[in-house]
Amino acid sequence: MSCQRLKNWFDERYDFEGIRSFLKQKVVPVHKYGILYYTGGLTLFLFILQFITGMVLAFYYVPYHEQAHKSIIEIVTKLNMGWLFRSLHHWGAQIAIGVLFIHVFGTLLVKAYRKPREIIWITGFILLVISIFFGLSGYFLLWDERAFAAVRVATGGAGNLPFIGGFIKSFLRGSIDVTGETLVRFYAFHVCVLPLFTIFFIGLHGLLVQYHGMSVPISVEKDTKKYEPFFPNVLYKDFIIWLIALGVVVTISVLFPPEIGKKADPLAAPPENIKPEWYFLFLFQTLKLFPGDIMGLNGEMIAIILISLGILFFLLIPFFDRKSSRGEKSTLFTWIGILYTAYFIIMTIIGFLT
Amino acid sequence: MKKIVIFTIKTINKSIKYFIFSVPLLFFNVIALWAEEKIDVFPSTPYDQFIIYQALILFWIGIIGLIVILKMKLKEIERIQSMGIDKEEKDVPFLD
Repeated sequence: MSCQRLKNWFDERYDFEGIRSFLKQKVVPVHKYGILYYTGGLTLFLFILQFITGMVLAFYYVPYHEQAHKSIIEIVTKLNMGWLFRSLHHWGAQIAIGVLFIHVFGTLLVKAYRKPREIIWITGFILLVISIFFGLSGYFLLWDERAFAAVRVATGGAGNLPFIGGFIKSFLRGSIDVTGETLVRFYAFHVCVLPLFTIFFIGLHGLLVQYHGMSVPISVEKDTKKYEPFFPNVLYKDFIIWLIALGVVVTISVLFPPEIGKKADPLAAPPENIKPEWYFLFLFQTLKLFPGDIMGLNGEMIAIILISLGILFFLLIPFFDRKSSRGEKSTLFTWIGILYTAYFIIMTIIGFLT
Repeated sequence: MKKIVIFTIKTINKSIKYFIFSVPLLFFNVIALWAEEKIDVFPSTPYDQFIIYQALILFWIGIIGLIVILKMKLKEIERIQSMGIDKEEKDVPFLD
């Protein structure tokens, strides 16, 4: 069948002309904050890269506590290109979460969450939480002593939440303490539950972005008169950025392949100077600020409650920022956005250096 | 006969010397086993490493080449768009 006949065959059955005209109509505003439009697409690309490398690794990884660590060593040392895929998956995750944070804080600072895009913000927030849980569950699959201690601390911290903490802790661990059952559970989350939720929320997030169109920051709304077509102009620029990102991920993966730590021993004491992954460092540092006992109450529990309230406020910002919803400048929420961004960056740096 | 005896004694002496020197080395090797096991996370042979770095350079050449092609294509599209000849006219008669 020739190409033209194949094209006709599909055209008779599906409305490709409708998709084509939709793509032609879609435009992207041109202004000085335009670079932020590319962070969403870049995050999506890095997620796709994670899916591909993750699928390859899943062929060889054994999610059983006796075999998990050994299977990773075998992937890295015995499989052809195994070290590269593991390194790509590791660095791809770090960079994807980094770009995701840039996307979130960028959206927060230019107030792209304002009416009528509140649901886009909420779906984005859910995707951020999913990504962080992806990171934690993937880290634990290494079954090394650092990952083991990190998951023990993280699930223990979640257990400090009032009312639901105990349930979350036992649900995540699968038993009283972190054990082999936790590994199976985290594996199921990492390769099945979280990918399904991710696909659903990425679909919804993308669909809503198409429905509402691209948001223009209030400060440049009046001056923005120029628009460029998404297809092909913006898509080509997206491709260029994705290619550069791919090159960077591959280069870092080749030059700095991640080490494999000592196999986890549930009965051993946690290693000294243990630190969580970089995207948990701000939480880790915040917890350190609180003393163990505050007026007879558990300090860690108070810290967890305050952090949860801070995160809840972050989620509900579009509903509190009434001025932006009316299209007026909202200085207070600009400062709140700067405060959140600065707190995250400073605490991460302090956590990294100390 | 005397020569043979002397040679044997000398050989035994030599062997004992080697044995005495090798015992500490044996312990040294055993101590090394207690050191943290380092797993090779990157191919260790110089040939493999050369191939990998060479492939990385070729990979970047490919990426740069693709970027250049996309840039040229984008420039051409923008040129056509600025001329305003990219839009399809409505009710254009078909030339059969």
